[in-house]
Amino acid sequence: MTRTSAPGVRVKDLTVVYKTPAGELPALGGVSLSLAPGTITGIVGESGSGKSTLALSLLNAVQPPGRIKEGSVEIDGLGNVVELTGEELRRARGRQVGYVFQAAQNSLNPLKTVGKQLLDLGRSHDFDDLPALLKDARALLGRMGLDGGRVLDSYQHELSGGMRQRVGIMFALVLNAHLVVLDEPTTALDMITQAAILKIVRDVHHERGLTTLIITHDMGVAAEVTDSLAVMYGGRVVEHGPTTEVLGSPRHPYTKGLIRAIPRLSGDIDEARALPGRPPTLGTIPKQGCVFRERCPLRIAVCDTVDPEPVTRDARTVACHAVGHLATPVVPKEYV
Amino acid sequence: MITASGITKTYKQRGNMLGARAVPALRGVDFRIEKGGAVTFIGESGCGKTTLGRIVAGLETYDGGDIVIDGTPMSSLKPRHREPFFRRIQLIHQDPYSALNPTRTIHQTLAAPLALRAKQTGRGKAWMEERARELLALVGIDPGYVLPRYPHQLSGGMRQRVVIARALTVDPEVLVADESVSMIDVSLRLGVLALLKDLRERLNVSVLFITHDIATARYIGGDGELYVIYRGQVVESGPTERVISGPVHPYTQSLLSAIPVLHGVERPGPERVVPTEALNEAHPDTGCLFARRCPFRTDRCEAELPSLVSDGEQAHACYHPQRRNVIPVEAA
Repeated sequence: MTRTSAPGVRVKDLTVVYKTPAGELPALGGVSLSLAPGTITGIVGESGSGKSTLALSLLNAVQPPGRIKEGSVEIDGLGNVVELTGEELRRARGRQVGYVFQAAQNSLNPLKTVGKQLLDLGRSHDFDDLPALLKDARALLGRMGLDGGRVLDSYQHELSGGMRQRVGIMFALVLNAHLVVLDEPTTALDMITQAAILKIVRDVHHERGLTTLIITHDMGVAAEVTDSLAVMYGGRVVEHGPTTEVLGSPRHPYTKGLIRAIPRLSGDIDEARALPGRPPTLGTIPKQGCVFRERCPLRIAVCDTVDPEPVTRDARTVACHAVGHLATPVVPKEYV
Repeated sequence: MITASGITKTYKQRGNMLGARAVPALRGVDFRIEKGGAVTFIGESGCGKTTLGRIVAGLETYDGGDIVIDGTPMSSLKPRHREPFFRRIQLIHQDPYSALNPTRTIHQTLAAPLALRAKQTGRGKAWMEERARELLALVGIDPGYVLPRYPHQLSGGMRQRVVIARALTVDPEVLVADESVSMIDVSLRLGVLALLKDLRERLNVSVLFITHDIATARYIGGDGELYVIYRGQVVESGPTERVISGPVHPYTQSLLSAIPVLHGVERPGPERVVPTEALNEAHPDTGCLFARRCPFRTDRCEAELPSLVSDGEQAHACYHPQRRNVIPVEAA
């Protein structure tokens, strides 16, 4: 029943709303995104852009007060995840979709050894051959440069941040899932550990033939490992395409601004510029028109009223009125 | 001006029945902060850089060596006489979400240190009000909007600006910024960095910048000094741009190599260095502290501890120093 090849994922018109005292507010406003089988896709965005909500939707795990209002998430071999419920859904999680949670460092049970937690996982998925599961886990940990036996006998507090992150990746892969979602896999790790984890992610991805989705706020992390990059803002995917092209010749004004705002080691440091304004929160996402217009240097009249449709041209998808049109930019309002 | 010489600090870990283990956090660190200058410390987590920042801000004691502030050695003073010196050095925390009291409005947060300042200088309530507005305007936020609000009503970038404004209430000469932007949204990060850079220029405040992100150090302190610290010891130092473009210590090279490359905008450096093992405090500290992880180690490295040697500008503690091109180059 387990698949041996990398699945493709197609998210269509996904709208997720959160219930608040001010009514239901959309965290995702009709997102469409495809993950090609066998690729590493990155989603970058700031806090509140909806990137974690999108990742949770792949497991149909959006927690109340949030709910998936409309749209579909098709995963090869699983069907439309949005329609799965109860036992079916529980079995798909872990078996077919592996998930490494944000702050995986703190998502282990402090009262049980890693090995005990692994056995719990095996039992909840009706694994008959638990010794084989332990053996797989040891091999995976060994592959990531750890002493598998020792780690399985350890409690969470006996492991360093980088080691716990690897344990998280092991848990996501050990049931032989071929779709893996990593939510902020390297936050709170320092540079050298981050580089080591990213190398592991890339190597394991190729060795096991996975489809991988990485959620991050760090453009550098996405640039380092992904094949394809989606940029999110205010609950929408504003640009999507091959990573080197999106970074090398960004088209959406938000992507452009974001790349300019990163201090780099190469080139003239004084060319780095802050993006004016601040990202919208759930309550301040504009109800109509483009979500980025308040901070946009290319703003035109139509941006105030019409939400731009994503347009795909030469493998690049961009949602912007001003790109590809001859537009007269108006001077944006200065915010702090 | 602050001169630190031979600062040492050892934490005692409560041990098992066989006795306590001592963990050396700093093993003799020397540095100077000039008026209006910028000094950056980089290193992995656990290498002692945060301890150093807290010692400079007077929040932590040190075991050996001394800090001399404008000619006065701190070890010669009683704790209560040190206070006015350390008050001129303010720490900006990493996490703007927990550094502000959630039950106080920004107005109340700023009023407490301003009241102290007003008492010292014999000024009244009107001055406090005016100063609070002036400081918020200085850090680039609208006082009318922010003053009556609570921290949870502000974005991360705004909160960090409030934290900086609070540090400025006591007219400090040095700001110690410990990973000050790592928890702020990417598009707002550069704004806060630009503010620190601007404060250096406008108020002639010195900045001690503690980070693991070397690119941000290059942004605020490109003209300053960079210290690379490893397991409590400075392994390389020199003018920031020079160390970044021509590192000679394998540890500095490892740190610089680990920075993600923005493929499409830049190409990876040709001679990237990867440590052979992960950081382990239990590694022996005879010989070079980095030897066990160093791809270029020799027998001598494991036996003798190299000391810091300087060519006048750039200093390093390595028996086999060699320049390597590890940083990314801009794609044409």
